[in-house]
Amino acid sequence: MKKLILFFTLFIIIGESQAQTMINGIVKDAKSNPISGVSISIKDSYDGTSSDSTGKFTFKSNESGEQWLVFSAIGFGTDSTKIILKGTTLQLNLILKEKLNALNAVTITAGTFEASDSKKGVVLNSLDVATTAGAQADVYAALQTLPGTQPAAGESGLFVRGGSAAETNTYFDGLLVKNPFNTQLPDIASRGRFSPFLFKGTTFSAGGYSAVYGQALSSALILESKDLPEKTTTDVSVMTVGLGIDQTIRFKNSALSIGGSYINLKPAFSIFKQETDWNTEPASAGGTVIYKWKTSKTGMLKSYSEYSKSEVSLNTADLNSQQKSLFSNTNNNFYTNLTYQDYIGNDWKIISGFSASNNKDIGLQAINSYGRQDRLLQGKTTFTRYIGQLSTLKFGGDWLNSHRDESWNGLSRAYNDQLFSAYAESDIFLSNALVARVGLRAEHSSYLNLNNLAPRLSLAYKTGKSSQVSLAYGEFFQNPEDQYLVQTNQLGFQKATHYLANFQKMANGQTFRIEAYYKKYADLVKSTPNLNNNGFGYARGIDLFWRDKKTFKGVDYWISYSYLDTKRDFRNYPTEVTPDFGAKHSLNIVYKQFFSKLKSYVGATYSVASGRPFYNPNAIEFMSDKTKTYQNLSVNVSYLTRVFNKYTVIYASVSNLPGFKNVYGYHYSTDGQYREAIQPPALRSIFLGMFITIGDNTYKN
Amino acid sequence: MKKDLKTTIITLIVILFASVTNAQDAKYVAAMKNALQSFNDAKTGADYVAASNQFERIGGIAKTEWLPYYYAAYSQLINNTTLQDPNEKDAVLDKALELVGKAEILKPAEGEIWALKGYISFMKIYVNPMARMQNGMGEAMGYLEKAKALNPENPRPYFVIAQNTFYTPEAFGGGKDAAKPLLTEAAKKFEAFKPTNEMMPDWGKERNAMLLADCK
Repeated sequence: MKKLILFFTLFIIIGESQAQTMINGIVKDAKSNPISGVSISIKDSYDGTSSDSTGKFTFKSNESGEQWLVFSAIGFGTDSTKIILKGTTLQLNLILKEKLNALNAVTITAGTFEASDSKKGVVLNSLDVATTAGAQADVYAALQTLPGTQPAAGESGLFVRGGSAAETNTYFDGLLVKNPFNTQLPDIASRGRFSPFLFKGTTFSAGGYSAVYGQALSSALILESKDLPEKTTTDVSVMTVGLGIDQTIRFKNSALSIGGSYINLKPAFSIFKQETDWNTEPASAGGTVIYKWKTSKTGMLKSYSEYSKSEVSLNTADLNSQQKSLFSNTNNNFYTNLTYQDYIGNDWKIISGFSASNNKDIGLQAINSYGRQDRLLQGKTTFTRYIGQLSTLKFGGDWLNSHRDESWNGLSRAYNDQLFSAYAESDIFLSNALVARVGLRAEHSSYLNLNNLAPRLSLAYKTGKSSQVSLAYGEFFQNPEDQYLVQTNQLGFQKATHYLANFQKMANGQTFRIEAYYKKYADLVKSTPNLNNNGFGYARGIDLFWRDKKTFKGVDYWISYSYLDTKRDFRNYPTEVTPDFGAKHSLNIVYKQFFSKLKSYVGATYSVASGRPFYNPNAIEFMSDKTKTYQNLSVNVSYLTRVFNKYTVIYASVSNLPGFKNVYGYHYSTDGQYREAIQPPALRSIFLGMFITIGDNTYKN
Repeated sequence: MKKDLKTTIITLIVILFASVTNAQDAKYVAAMKNALQSFNDAKTGADYVAASNQFERIGGIAKTEWLPYYYAAYSQLINNTTLQDPNEKDAVLDKALELVGKAEILKPAEGEIWALKGYISFMKIYVNPMARMQNGMGEAMGYLEKAKALNPENPRPYFVIAQNTFYTPEAFGGGKDAAKPLLTEAAKKFEAFKPTNEMMPDWGKERNAMLLADCK
């Protein structure tokens, strides 16, 4: 009995008295840089410590024998090594590998400007788009302050790196939008149809974009709509251009928003002298229905529908007869989409969507009646397989049914095309610092009865903690424009090949980007002597971007500069020349500052671009004349306040405040005797608005 | 005699077990006190990382205790305030969320955990307020409301909300005037609050008083 007690006592004492072992060492990463803040411990014991700023550590352990030493740090993985503790001091050299994760991994940036609220490494967020002065909350106008684009002229759309407006396509939750703009009026650029507040992410690709998208020779604008709104709210807008009301009702796992607006530009246009001779200033009425349903923890169903009707009438000058010429338009636009996404297990994601649109224009052009109708149906499904920590394999297919019919004084013609596409693309992370994206897209057009195969390749390599280089190559195909397809199906795909090299450094609120590109065009549509695919061309240039949110407190500004050298032979051109949408130099300075005392947000945008070529029938050489330099300075102020105790934003903006007289080009009479400048509808324009939010009294912008 | 022996053995085993458990408890308490000392002495970001690591190691051994992970998360939250680079801030706050998540699994009905989770969520928003405000506020407020519901006497959720209001621009419904009644309410809760033991969370009182003084 006593022996037994003695035994237990001994056991307890032995348990308490052991030799201490001193453990010293250093932890480094794979490149032999010391890592601080690494937690080092003996597994299943309280013994351990953290490495200091030189990666060194030292601690004592009472454990003995064979033990596991475990070490880990934020941004790195966890590793362990076996050690033997026997009282003699240990000296250890540990290596900890960087964890592959989205926070420190390289991203492909060649050609791409991303505006997102959630992802890292974005250059702009969605609010930046909405608050850029001069853009008046038009997504497209805001993007015109980024390098690679041209300032707005008399034509709607984005002109990217020597490409025409038709070479940029817009995608809404992955689905192509056929008519993203209000109807183009003669020589007047129109706004985009979608409010920037609908989207949580905007990816603007100036080239080399993903194989998931096709049918755009130059550029893809990818808009990702917001998820569930947080609260039930009513938003009322009172503007100099009209009225709007939106009611959002939040249910437990879903939300429904219904909105309506009436826009009439007559009052606003009456303030400033109009260069344009309006008969009926543009007026439109429309409604939207948005539904979002969180189907499960990871599943999301989104639907967006809108309908609008607009009317306008104006006179243009017929230079040949020296008389007024009437132009009128009534537009009916319907657009709807439905997308669903979810994860299947841990490794798969599915995104599936459907969209339909119908856009109808009728009106008079001089004494002739015209009509145009575009119908588009689309279905698309993409599967993503996640491989390892970051790599992915995506594949899927889409089907696009486009229909256009045109009429002129009762005569009509139409075409109908089914475009089938299949695509596969893989992001392969060879390390945290090196990623390759390999993609392939195949398309078949039923109307042209042709196939194409477009390879895409991007590489990105991280050169430092906050800098990286990217390279991209890709082939891009696009059907000829509708105005040619209604005439014949004896045409082929137009083609562009992109080569891009990009360097980006992003640290502490400052971003610097430089990108050089070369783009080769082939098989562009020419309309002389008859429709053919013999057009060709090139574009090359350098884009620079600098954004700084750090140097001046409360100030955010960016500067973008584009150099463009481009020539092409297409449409009715007799030879290869710089087209009328190719300004050699473009510079934008965007400035934003928040004055918290005044509760005001002030912004200014200054743009300058060298002259564009225009066709002068009196000149000896084709398109050898150039307009004078384009300049614009726009300012806006947002004042945050309360009206009837509801959170309210009062917004005012003036476009072209100093009144620069800009000319986009000239129209000539056939004999070259008379000409008329193509100008904006007014020298200056002003916009005032009051936006009231009811039901949300905390933090809506 | 045999029976006696048996009883003795059982008694001894019980004593031994109890002493081991006590020894473990004692070890845990000693380790926690040690770590709390490191935390209280910490001055630089690196000190807070070391303290967080120390707490996390204790969490790995004392597998049923929520306090080690709670303090590990809280140390990272303070470490975050010493950093500038938004990517680093995000990484540290993600780590803090992971740690507070471990505490939550161990004691889901503990109000202190939800108060800290709400605080960390606010800090995540501040890394990029323009972008995260709209979708993040509701979530963060939800955690803090849950903390209040679980323990209405706990001053910390009141303090975190008051502090957030204090730093929110007036234009967005914040500012000193809006924060003052909230800080006053939190101050009352702090006066009445007594932690149940010396290891339990007891932070925020001084800062609350300082902000309140700034409102006058």
